[in-house]
Amino acid sequence: MDVLSQLIGGFAVALQPMNLFWALIGCALGTAVGVLPGIGPALTIALLMPVTAQVAPASAFIMFAGILYGALYGGSTTSILLNTPGESGAVMTALEGNRMARNGRGAAALATAAIGSFVAGTIGTLALTFLAPAIAELAFVFGPEDYFALMVLSFTSVAVVMGRSMVRGFTALFFGLALGTIGIDTQTGQTRMVFGTLELLDGVSFTVVLVSLFAIGEALYVASRSGTVPAAINPLSGGSWMTRQDWARSWKPWLRGSVIGFPIGALPAGGTEIPTFLSYALERRLSKHPKEFGHGAIEGVAGPEAANNAAAAGILVPLLTLGLPSTATAAVLLAAFQNYGLQPGPMLFATNPDLLWGLIASLYIGNLILLVLNLPLVGIWVRLLLIPRHYIYGGIVVFALVGVWGLSTSWMDLLLMCGLGLIGYVARVYDFPIAPVLIGLILGPQAEIQLRRALAVSQGDWGVLVSTPIATTLLSIAFLVLVVPPILARLRARPKAEPAISAG
Amino acid sequence: MSVNPGRQDARKPRPWWLGLGVLAMGALWLNGARSIASTTNYIGVGPAAIILAVGIGLTVLGVILIAQAMRGELVPAPEGEEDTPPSRSAFLLALAGVSIPLLTIRWLGFPFTAMLAFTLVTHAFGSRRTGLDLMVGAVLGSVAWFGFSRLGISLGPFLPLIG
Repeated sequence: MDVLSQLIGGFAVALQPMNLFWALIGCALGTAVGVLPGIGPALTIALLMPVTAQVAPASAFIMFAGILYGALYGGSTTSILLNTPGESGAVMTALEGNRMARNGRGAAALATAAIGSFVAGTIGTLALTFLAPAIAELAFVFGPEDYFALMVLSFTSVAVVMGRSMVRGFTALFFGLALGTIGIDTQTGQTRMVFGTLELLDGVSFTVVLVSLFAIGEALYVASRSGTVPAAINPLSGGSWMTRQDWARSWKPWLRGSVIGFPIGALPAGGTEIPTFLSYALERRLSKHPKEFGHGAIEGVAGPEAANNAAAAGILVPLLTLGLPSTATAAVLLAAFQNYGLQPGPMLFATNPDLLWGLIASLYIGNLILLVLNLPLVGIWVRLLLIPRHYIYGGIVVFALVGVWGLSTSWMDLLLMCGLGLIGYVARVYDFPIAPVLIGLILGPQAEIQLRRALAVSQGDWGVLVSTPIATTLLSIAFLVLVVPPILARLRARPKAEPAISAG
Repeated sequence: MSVNPGRQDARKPRPWWLGLGVLAMGALWLNGARSIASTTNYIGVGPAAIILAVGIGLTVLGVILIAQAMRGELVPAPEGEEDTPPSRSAFLLALAGVSIPLLTIRWLGFPFTAMLAFTLVTHAFGSRRTGLDLMVGAVLGSVAWFGFSRLGISLGPFLPLIG
């Protein structure tokens, strides 16, 4: 069947009244968690995973997709009106958007962000629609050694790209890999690293790790540093809509942002930060009003917001076609698939086309719902920011408790929540990235299985790991990802060091 | 007025304990690898291999982190614009809120535990309306307990002490 007929089938699933309801719930929840500080889409989906066990997989993933996209829309509202990016992908939006809001042009900034998100989200989803099946077909030729190489590439790129330093990135990754080794070895049935504790035989739950590192770590950090001063919200008064000039200055950045965002989002560890930074830099360079940058240039909101949303669609490409998460949210989505006994990858297109195409179709619908929810109703979302911060974080801790205790009412899970929450706090203070922990935890056991499978097939010959062009290429890229950034950093530092030496 | 750079350097935080923690975890994993009997050597990688690799990785990273800390390179992330200086009492209060379920959830059940945790966390954020916070926490905990129970997620008995 061709892509279009599959997509039509997907729309038939996504347009069922119950699935539309879940899409609406997901979009509303996503926008709310995007607006509120401290709760991201990853945490929300993780907390909802036990609840959605009662819901049909297609409905659950339609809701999760709404949360993923909705959080991006909501994040721009907080960035523009509060100068507090809810997510790292919204940092650049805050830069110009908040200036616009301070200049009384908050409504125009919110409008260009919402319409740009819609345009880019739709373009990104179109690209996902036509690219994903092709990549999934390609993935059928992957052997265990190729999958292992792909995971090694994912590990290195996540550890190198995310966070401030490579050492911190790798420490986070190895911490996640270590957690992933706890429990019964699936191939031999031997127990590993359980320290005589029966509760650890099933391993450390992904939800416990995610909730503890994100929610508890964040709550401890913000509590210790928030003081009692509420953040100031810029009013929504002033120009109510985009002017003709705003439209003229926005449409090209929307398209350019989409073109930058999607492919980078689809790369392992591409994420949403790099495309938004690149888009901002490009718009600044191409703008006919460069002096406005830093004082509220609309291109500086339109481009990065588009790049952010296109990247979110890009993130779904490796996840759905190869089962490879490249961000924390994607890792949670992968865990959600596994919760239903499903493994994203090429086989999923063949075995669960309704679920997969329903999910893709729901992205188009979700984008439309979000445009409606976010343009005329933005004032309602802004009111969420009036909820006192202590109630928000108190609520986060209670829901974290629901997520952890509700898993299996295990005291050990609560103990892990406290310990990992403290580690999350330390990670926040010393800038250790969290995403590599999650990716190490979820991909580590899979990488081990693929490695052992490859070695079993080759009768223990390690040469199998570089026996195919795909594996060799992927491992070479992984090596370059590891080696090139330090070399570039050293080269960049050299011209600065020389004058200092001569001056001294 | 210039600040003595040597003195400024001495004041830099040196969180060597961070590296030590990673090193200890590495040692634990290395020891774990040693204690796992390898029964599947014929395929080259037994169940201990990944534990060993992770242990080595953590040990090396621990040593690097200690070295970085001693050189003053392992500094805390820059504080946000709206962040105030860290408050130990607020942190401890929030930590108490997060830890209290360990002590109470088996005896007092989820709703009461949620109420206590909620109130401690709100107090860590500077709220002093204890009565109101207890009430909001109790409502939130009870609603969550009833709501999730209806969805088929067990949060334990409402009040285990009275069965």
